[in-house]
Amino acid sequence: MKKKQIATTLGIMCFILTMCIAIQIRTVKNSNSTAMQALVDDGLRDEVLRWKERYDNAYQELLDSEKQLTQVREQATQNNTTANAKQQQIKENNMLLGTTQVKGAGLEIILADNNAMGAGLLEPSIILVHYNDLLEVVNALNNAGAEAISINGQRIITTTAITCEGNVIKVNGEKISSPFAIKAIGSQGLLLGSMTMAGGYLSLMEDNGVIVNVKTVDDITIEKYNGIISYKYVKSK
Amino acid sequence: MIFIAIVMGCILGAVIGIYAPMVPYTYSGYLAIAIIAALDSVFGGIASTLNKQFDLKIFVSGFFGNAILSMLLTYLGQKLNVDIYLAAIVVFVGRMFNNLAIIRRYYLQKWTSHKKKETGEKVG
Repeated sequence: MKKKQIATTLGIMCFILTMCIAIQIRTVKNSNSTAMQALVDDGLRDEVLRWKERYDNAYQELLDSEKQLTQVREQATQNNTTANAKQQQIKENNMLLGTTQVKGAGLEIILADNNAMGAGLLEPSIILVHYNDLLEVVNALNNAGAEAISINGQRIITTTAITCEGNVIKVNGEKISSPFAIKAIGSQGLLLGSMTMAGGYLSLMEDNGVIVNVKTVDDITIEKYNGIISYKYVKSK
Repeated sequence: MIFIAIVMGCILGAVIGIYAPMVPYTYSGYLAIAIIAALDSVFGGIASTLNKQFDLKIFVSGFFGNAILSMLLTYLGQKLNVDIYLAAIVVFVGRMFNNLAIIRRYYLQKWTSHKKKETGEKVG
């Protein structure tokens, strides 16, 4: 009787112990621990940095070879008027496409979220700069005859999209954030007048509480478009 | 009889453990420390059996008591932001090694004395 009791007790205890061990092993196997997660994150971050470096190197190479190409082209067309005219045409076309850095007199508009005001407002989103604000401003600038426009270093070209993805604004597929510096080259009087007119879009934004700062700059540099313009479906006739 | 009960318990526990639902990861730390405590009790039980001091009441109370106490201490440590479970692991694993040493010595002694007897018989 005593032996039977001991046997059952030990059996039950062994049962509990092995069951716990089996459950624990399965739990550990199925859940990747936080340490594991951190390791994976680190690896991914490293990889991103490596790729970014590679991209930067490749981009630098591209810039160098472009410079070389222009040099070679200039040398080749030095003594040839037709070729020289063509060369000039290429330059102009590139300027129109936005693939060269351009300089000129123009306007700089700074739009920024007014975070200080956000606390007590009924509708806090009106003091933020939204993608449609940028679209309106770019549209107004184009309407006033701007010849080149960029937002935070992103050149506005014919295929540029200004989109809102979650809480970030993307221009040319690149994330940009407040403050937004919009640069435009064109007739300073026309640009300034059309942007700052009473009842214009910028004045509406300023009334809403967004930080708006417009100033004319005599020598403004607008960066070139960093991406690749490629057409797949369009064919020239 | 006892041996059969232990083996049966182990097999049944393993089978049921494989099909049982998993514990959430947050609580698996508690389960782990309970397993360590229980294993310590088992080795202690074996060692005391060899010393002929085995008491079922002490064994059972140690088995469950240590497991529950270590879980409570782990919980307290988490609340106080102190890794108390480390201390529990050090104590339990240290005792486990002690008990294993006792078991090893017992069987080693048995083996050597057995051998001596055998050779003595041959010589005699």
